[in-house]
Amino acid sequence: MPNIVACFKWVIDEADLKVAAHSRELILDRVSYKISDYDRNALEEAVRLREQYGGQVTTVTVGPPGARQSLKDALSRGPDQGCLIADTAFVDLEPSQTAAILAAALRSRLEYDLIICGEGSSDLYAQQVGPRLAENLGLPVITYVNKIILEENLLIAERRLEDGIEVVSVPLPALVTVLPEINSPRIPGLKQVLAAAKKPVINLNQKDLGEDFSPLLQTLSIQAAPSERRRLRFGAEGADLKKVVDALIREGVVS
Amino acid sequence: MDFKLTEEQELIRASAREFALKYLEPIAAEIDEESRFPMEVMTKLAEMDWLGIPYPAEYGGAGADYLTFALVVEEISRSCASTGFTLSATTGLVMNPIYQFGTEEQKKQYITPIAKGEKIGAFALTEPGAGTDPGAATTTAVLEGDTYVINGTKTFISNGPIADVFVVIAVTDKSKGARGLSGFIVPKEAGGISVGKHFQKMGLRASQTSEIIFKDCRIPRQNLLGKEGQGFRIAMQSLDTGRIGIAAQAIGILQAALDESISYSKERVQFGKPISVNQAIQWMLVDMATDLAAARFLTYYAADCKDKGLPSSKEAAMAKLFASEAVSRHASKAVQIHGGIGYVKGTKVERLMRDAKITEIYEGTSEAQRMVIAGNILR
Repeated sequence: MPNIVACFKWVIDEADLKVAAHSRELILDRVSYKISDYDRNALEEAVRLREQYGGQVTTVTVGPPGARQSLKDALSRGPDQGCLIADTAFVDLEPSQTAAILAAALRSRLEYDLIICGEGSSDLYAQQVGPRLAENLGLPVITYVNKIILEENLLIAERRLEDGIEVVSVPLPALVTVLPEINSPRIPGLKQVLAAAKKPVINLNQKDLGEDFSPLLQTLSIQAAPSERRRLRFGAEGADLKKVVDALIREGVVS
Repeated sequence: MDFKLTEEQELIRASAREFALKYLEPIAAEIDEESRFPMEVMTKLAEMDWLGIPYPAEYGGAGADYLTFALVVEEISRSCASTGFTLSATTGLVMNPIYQFGTEEQKKQYITPIAKGEKIGAFALTEPGAGTDPGAATTTAVLEGDTYVINGTKTFISNGPIADVFVVIAVTDKSKGARGLSGFIVPKEAGGISVGKHFQKMGLRASQTSEIIFKDCRIPRQNLLGKEGQGFRIAMQSLDTGRIGIAAQAIGILQAALDESISYSKERVQFGKPISVNQAIQWMLVDMATDLAAARFLTYYAADCKDKGLPSSKEAAMAKLFASEAVSRHASKAVQIHGGIGYVKGTKVERLMRDAKITEIYEGTSEAQRMVIAGNILR
């Protein structure tokens, strides 16, 4: 009966992002937040494994106090309990910090046989938190996973790589990062949403963990990449092809 | 005063949006064109606990509130107004009268299978000669021993051709007019029920509408809903509830019209610029967005009044009146913004414009809503 931990990140919904016309700064005053896309797959996989093999699913997130509003959303997707590691200091965390915070919480407060993370987050897609967390906890890590089977104390995973499928096995405890193809996350029903409020939540902050999680990088500014339509028109004849290529070279798209 | 939805309501709205995009948006145009009721969707709606949202779990409901019900109908209607209506009518016109007036046994026997998506319900009030004036009904229910015998023709019955159970309003005492009407629960297997004319409608085509003909249909005496003579009250209370659903359906269609119009006007280039930079287009979009906001608040307010046990008849009538007239007006503008392509089958706004019109007619015409509101403000 495995204890499964599914990690998720509470991110800005990219559909709400707007960019100021002149400064190219991001306008964030009307954005909403969501569970990062691939982390939904992580949550779904944890719940499916529990349905198949039994055990318990805990879902964990790290962020500023505002991340609290993510819990009901996450818990409505099927986990048994939640763990919110929130602190006013946990703003714009970089992957190394998130991994260190998760590791500290998992070591001291939670039991785990299997940790599941999404392959990368919808906002940064750095693909680092999973492998770094495994490293911090001294666990084997399997990335690019699109199928998981549990056998006794063994996890067998299919990894979807560019040139083929690799099947690997590791003893538990272990950490996997999953691809979106692994499952199709369920849409929470009304009763699941109402039940989410009644599920237990472990609340932790920086002081509880007794460590200082300092960043390695300093972000000086964030600006949207400029994109401008040139509105060039080309004919459909063979001879026009050269004009298309010339235009692409002139714009620096190809060289 | 708090204009914020609860976290749960926001999450349920998000689920409804995701559901609609996944299961309804891809089929909405096709089931409209084919005039096909999506039976497969009913099972899914039941799995999401959306059939019977405001009714207690002991009858198979979800034990939530009318505001949540309105949010789900709105989001579903944004992708498929026919399915939004089915959800609304099932909850407001079929389950609601049984829940409000039924005995414990009737509630368990009839609400539960509908909430599970196993049975389809229909509400049979309207007759060829009795629309806005239900007191003119001529369908009769005559008590013979322990059996009521029903005879007459009901028309414009939504879900008529596919229903397993009907809530029927019929005359038990002709001398008393509207006070001589009574409500009945009539299962299809009672016999003596046939489907008459199957209507080809202008919009809402995935919802099935027909005549229902009762000929010596015999039901046990215990299928009387409430008491004899309560039929008019049953009908009016059901319609009061139903109107919240129709207002929600209207704002769902209106939101879709706005979404389509904004995205099209930003893409469509004329005179070298997207048409959204033209003030003529902007003002149409602005009026649409402003009326949508007003309609939404009226609708949520009516639902909230009902949830709090406050009088909500006038509020629901105002919400339904405003939302339905707004969507009818603006869906036409959405077609205008799209120009020629908006008039072509397969373009979403063309369907929206056809679907919008019915919201001004069924579950009380705009004129009937004005009668309800006038009755309230002049008394």
